[in-house]
Amino acid sequence: MEKKSVMKKITGSREALLAIVLIVLFVIITAINPSFLTPKSLMDMLKNNAVTMVMSLGMLCVMLVGGIDISIMSTLALSGMSIGMLLKYEHISSTFLAFVIAIAIGIVCGAVVGLIISRADVPPIIATMGFMYIYRALGYQVSHGGEWASAAALGNFKNFATTKFLGLNCVIWVIIVCYVFFFWFMKWTRTGRMIYAVGSNPSAAEVSGINVKNIKLLVYTIMGLLAGLGGALQVSVYASAMPDMQYGGEMDVIAACVIGGVSMNGGRGTVVGALLGSLILATIAKALPLIPFFNQLWLNTIKGVIILVVVVMNVILQRIADKNALKGREM
Amino acid sequence: MNKKVISALLCGAMVLGCAAPVMAADKAGDGQKIALVGKSAGNAFFEIAAKAFKETAEAEGATVDVVYPEAATADAQIKVLDNLISQQPDAICISANDVNALQAKLEEAMDAGIKVSSFDSAPNKDSRQVFVNQAGTQAVGQALMDAVLDISGGEGQFAILSATSQSANQNAWIDAMKSIMEGDEKYSKLELVEVAYGDDEPQKSTDQTAALLQNYPDLKVICAPTTVGIAAAAKYLQDNESACKLTGLGLPSEMQEYTGDDDAHSCPYFYLWDMEGLGKLSAYATMALVKGDITGAVDETFTAGDMGEFTITTADDEGTEIVLGEPLQFTPDNVADYAKLY
Amino acid sequence: MAGKSGRSINNVPESPVKKMIFSWEGILVLLFIAVNIFCAMFSEYYNMSSLLRQMPVYLAEVFMMLPMAYILVLGEIDISVGAIVCLSATMSCIVCNTNAPFIVVVITALGVGTICGAINGFILTKFQELPPMIVTLATQIIFRGISEIVLGSGGSISASNTDGFRAIGGKVGDIPYILFLVVILSVIFAVILGKSTFGRRVYAIGTNRLTAYYSGVHVQKIRFIIYTIMGTVSGLCALFLVSSSYGANTTTGNGFEMDAIAMAVFGGISSTGGKGNIAGGFISAFIIVCLRVGLGQRNVNAQVILLIIGVLLIAAVALPNIIGNAKKALSMKKN
Repeated sequence: MEKKSVMKKITGSREALLAIVLIVLFVIITAINPSFLTPKSLMDMLKNNAVTMVMSLGMLCVMLVGGIDISIMSTLALSGMSIGMLLKYEHISSTFLAFVIAIAIGIVCGAVVGLIISRADVPPIIATMGFMYIYRALGYQVSHGGEWASAAALGNFKNFATTKFLGLNCVIWVIIVCYVFFFWFMKWTRTGRMIYAVGSNPSAAEVSGINVKNIKLLVYTIMGLLAGLGGALQVSVYASAMPDMQYGGEMDVIAACVIGGVSMNGGRGTVVGALLGSLILATIAKALPLIPFFNQLWLNTIKGVIILVVVVMNVILQRIADKNALKGREM
Repeated sequence: MNKKVISALLCGAMVLGCAAPVMAADKAGDGQKIALVGKSAGNAFFEIAAKAFKETAEAEGATVDVVYPEAATADAQIKVLDNLISQQPDAICISANDVNALQAKLEEAMDAGIKVSSFDSAPNKDSRQVFVNQAGTQAVGQALMDAVLDISGGEGQFAILSATSQSANQNAWIDAMKSIMEGDEKYSKLELVEVAYGDDEPQKSTDQTAALLQNYPDLKVICAPTTVGIAAAAKYLQDNESACKLTGLGLPSEMQEYTGDDDAHSCPYFYLWDMEGLGKLSAYATMALVKGDITGAVDETFTAGDMGEFTITTADDEGTEIVLGEPLQFTPDNVADYAKLY
Repeated sequence: MAGKSGRSINNVPESPVKKMIFSWEGILVLLFIAVNIFCAMFSEYYNMSSLLRQMPVYLAEVFMMLPMAYILVLGEIDISVGAIVCLSATMSCIVCNTNAPFIVVVITALGVGTICGAINGFILTKFQELPPMIVTLATQIIFRGISEIVLGSGGSISASNTDGFRAIGGKVGDIPYILFLVVILSVIFAVILGKSTFGRRVYAIGTNRLTAYYSGVHVQKIRFIIYTIMGTVSGLCALFLVSSSYGANTTTGNGFEMDAIAMAVFGGISSTGGKGNIAGGFISAFIIVCLRVGLGQRNVNAQVILLIIGVLLIAAVALPNIIGNAKKALSMKKN
């Protein structure tokens, strides 16, 4: 293999480009408000965006096979609300059991979505739009039409999000474990590689003996699992379960993946990309209120502009990289 | 459970009706059909008032339908109002998602002979006959300002964490606080550093609270006049053992965990109004409108069951309103009791 | 050679009559009748006059289904339209409050919508690698953000001079103007998509963009035009929305994109591109409107109504596929 220059390596890799964007963001924000770059502030940021960060891993898998899932926040609300009500009425009290139940509900929800998409050939956006309404409505039913489970009702469960383990908050450990696992899973397991194969070329994957339908079922089930975990995290972090929680939040998860370079046509995207994408979004959310000269009314607009600029910049940098790559080729 | 209570009440009403026909004629809401329109489903805060409204009106012989729009928007409420106008109830009592947007539909309803009252959040003066105000805007502003003054020890920086920049109720209270602060010398050592908006989302409210502490390390008090915002801020301050304290408007059940006088709790005391009372008073006011006891004009009076007599006054927007009373204070001593209620 | 039907139960229908009944549109017509019978039995208030009175608010959303169908046929999606409605409604109210003549208000609403749509189109054609979903997500936040800034604290504006808005909300007899407009526009959109070269090219792009490009279709030009028209129609929707509320606020138009997409998809327009026609979307729009009105009149829980629509949506796409698969399996067994 020929040796590449460091410069070329950087411009050649999407993740490296994203890392640069992230570093630039960090530098600008810290220059304006030094309190941003303190360990506590960063830990706050991770904890407050744990739900999006964990769920973008599932969205990565779904988007790798060329799908999309907009029902995830309804699944989150259903699973979170279910354990909230179970804890409130003292049917369960163990934190571990609560997590297991939330994840189980998520898996069932995801599997149903996956079955409809893989077995009945329903386009993912339609199927998940339907389930977005269905699971949200079920969430309302679970809450008896609008009860909340508040901090006092959640008992020990909420302490999960305030407990530290080896100096790090448990929620942050969950993020780390999820990312390390998925990094291994996507890169070094057969199943992980099959997901990439199905996304790159479904017919070729089918011919080479991969059960495309089962892989599709699997990714939506993984998504459901993480949505269930997200539900438990959401309830624990904010010590409150409401039936309308994270309404519209699915777009943040999708945006995190797309910013992270995951292709919506499938086959392209990495765990590192999803991490960087969700970190960029988390940074924007954390930093905007810290920047003093923005009027509060402008925050949403600025967020939209930044997302647009980041994705457009990504395209431009990619084009330059492609051009350079072409230059290097001998004609 | 709910149904049992209602049917028990209805049975009681029927027995009374048979035993004393004279008394039955005196009932405030006999045979009336009332629709109660909420802001959105899934709001524990509203449920309490709605339940009280329904029980009160049904005890008086009226039937009540509680209807929620599919989302917390004025567009969705317009569709609900369209449905209600088709059903021709005697009265609609609404908590409006937007001040102006419902005017066309509510005028249409009034033209069709439906009485329109509102509570919790008022549509503009042309679109209602009377508004049942949970607590006077000035009274809320005063209570919050005094709490800030008291908790801060009389001087220092404080910030406000509101819902969205468009929330009409919150904006009115914040404006009242600002004018009270300017109007009195005793607040002169207080400095309002920022009004932040958490959009009633736990995540954004947490970010905003953290940002306030990072931007203003000397911040003494945060005042959050919104239920989601105050709970998120309370949790953040308490988890971080911040020296900054909190007050505002919140639900006792959501705040119970964070209320206390010591350093381990983030909120010494906070306010809300009597949500059950609000539901009850709205029910009586609506029934009085239908019966013709009141028309919604200033200085009219009516009797709201065991709550006593109320007088209609002029509201801030030059429409008319009935004020329920002073905001309720929740302290470490009483918060546990109220938390069982709401 | 009208537009291809999105779904069909029977692959080789024998006679034209049978073809019509077994096409997805035929089934939708039957479903439309069934829904109306159901609603009339379910709700005592469900009749022609209550339906006509309640319809205008929903019809404003039906407008959006028309260009959305084109975008879906392209195999793309636009989720910024609700925000465009919000911005145009806001701007038209502001212009209206300067005492400008009503025609200026109309031009503002349509103009703002067109500009927003053109911005979407511009970004999407200049950077074609970008997925439409993410671009329109960003512009959605931006457009709604701009109206938040314009509306300032309070977030709500009411039109002081409502004469013009009252006029367009008027009726001929019992029939509101907007119903005529919806029908006329639907016919125009259907004819263009089904019969014109432009429409054929849209299908071509949706089926295979690269092949369309190589066979000389100006792919980017057509995409730009469609996104711009989507904006214009959103402006039109805003105008009629204001006529039912005399005002605008920061949540105006919230969720309209999903409603428009649901109507189109239920009507057989495939979200993966290249399939479907306006007729299906048109009938399904009225099925959804009638169902919502009928259930709403009996105060059925709004979440339950959404649940029913969700189930319908999935069933509409899943059932033909399942039946098709079963038939295939059956015929394979026979062979």
